[in-house]
Amino acid sequence: MTTLVVAGPTGIAEHDGGSYHPEQPARMFAVMDGVRALGLDDDVVYAPVSDATHAELSRVHSPAYLAELEAFCARGGGDIDPDTYARPDSWLAARRAAGAGLAALAELDRRGEGVAFVPVRPPGHHATADRAMGFCLVNNVAVAAASRTALGERVLIVDWDVHHGNGTQAIFWDDPDVLYVSTHQHPLFPGTGRPDEVGGPGAPGLTLNLPLPPGATGDVVRSAIDEMARPAMEEFAPDWVLVSCGFDAHQADPLGELELSSGDFAELARVVAEFVPRPGRLALFLEGGYNPGSLATSVEATLGALLDAGGRPPAPTSGGPGMAQLQADRTERLRAIDRVHTEVGP
Amino acid sequence: MTDQRVVVVVGYDGSDDARSAVAWAATAALALGARLRVVHAVGLLEHAGMAGHGHVDGVLPLKTAVEAGLDPADVEWHVVDGDPCGALLRMAEPPESAVLLVVGSRGAGAHAGTLLGSTSLELAEHAPVPVTIVPRSGPPG
Repeated sequence: MTTLVVAGPTGIAEHDGGSYHPEQPARMFAVMDGVRALGLDDDVVYAPVSDATHAELSRVHSPAYLAELEAFCARGGGDIDPDTYARPDSWLAARRAAGAGLAALAELDRRGEGVAFVPVRPPGHHATADRAMGFCLVNNVAVAAASRTALGERVLIVDWDVHHGNGTQAIFWDDPDVLYVSTHQHPLFPGTGRPDEVGGPGAPGLTLNLPLPPGATGDVVRSAIDEMARPAMEEFAPDWVLVSCGFDAHQADPLGELELSSGDFAELARVVAEFVPRPGRLALFLEGGYNPGSLATSVEATLGALLDAGGRPPAPTSGGPGMAQLQADRTERLRAIDRVHTEVGP
Repeated sequence: MTDQRVVVVVGYDGSDDARSAVAWAATAALALGARLRVVHAVGLLEHAGMAGHGHVDGVLPLKTAVEAGLDPADVEWHVVDGDPCGALLRMAEPPESAVLLVVGSRGAGAHAGTLLGSTSLELAEHAPVPVTIVPRSGPPG
């Protein structure tokens, strides 16, 4: 049986914005309820987690930003913007969250098999090279991806969080070794993720945005990844597949208006797994997901689909809007890629 | 017939600083013969009705702009889901093509003494058009 490598949970004691804030420590308890419900027993391995070093963080964040964040926390922290906070130990929490991702990939590498899950706080995909935002301080999935591109490997990042991962997109905008694929509700925070955002002159087409209208159901999201993104993912031929697996696209989540069930995440996981080049090359990073109940069932369904474990998830959803928009956006996306090629020249 | 006048854009987050910025931007729009667009970016918590500052609406900024002398027909309240900096930068691109971006010196969530969360400094670094950062000059009248 495939091993589940868990690197976490982290950030429970160090990073707490108060009971009003939806990104709260109790999310980790819900997530681990989902892991336990799989009933894997001896097939779960907990990877030892170390704090990411400055050198590891600096692959994707500017040293000036890291110094500013560390100093801000040392002064007691506070509200960085209306959504995002830091506490005295949030710098530690952020380094540990990023370190958990690195530990997960190292454990997969060592074992040569397994699927890794990285349940950490704070989440990461909104953090840019030099800016905290959207609950995120350090971009965990980006730190992990950059650790592999530094070794000459190619990384596919699939981001199915309800919000666009603007930070991840910006960090790898012009990187030919990373393909970033995102499904997300649009319009919605952070406002990025339009289909004509396709990557820079060094990586045209390696950013693939699949925006979805409010009310979109699982069949639309699945089609976006399985049909719209499939050619790009096959052509890219990644060495690693990392998933920014936010669960706030669930119909019960308070921060978005997509209509997915837990069973839809199981279907998405099966599709993404098709692009994993060999055993031990798939890691899922927790991003959003703010309803404890749906967070637990979605974690169980997602990991259960990959490991053939757990109970039977709720039925996938269908019939929501967005299919026609996906088709129209494909044309816009191809035009945008042509524009980038034209600007670069032969 | 399409209104061909240029557009001045001002960010508004409900803070006193932002209201000062609206007053300054209205004066600038008058001088330029421009229309004024007041932009409020809705973040994660506000979208979900969980924001500590509560609901931000356009009544106060529009009143401020009119008191500064602008015709009400030349002021537009624009709400967009997104990050404030990104939302304002997009206003400088076609089709909006604002000729000037205006913000208060510190927003509702920003902390004095840090660059973290500073929309104004981010804008100043990345905007393709002039940016005016308006200091708070005391409570608006």
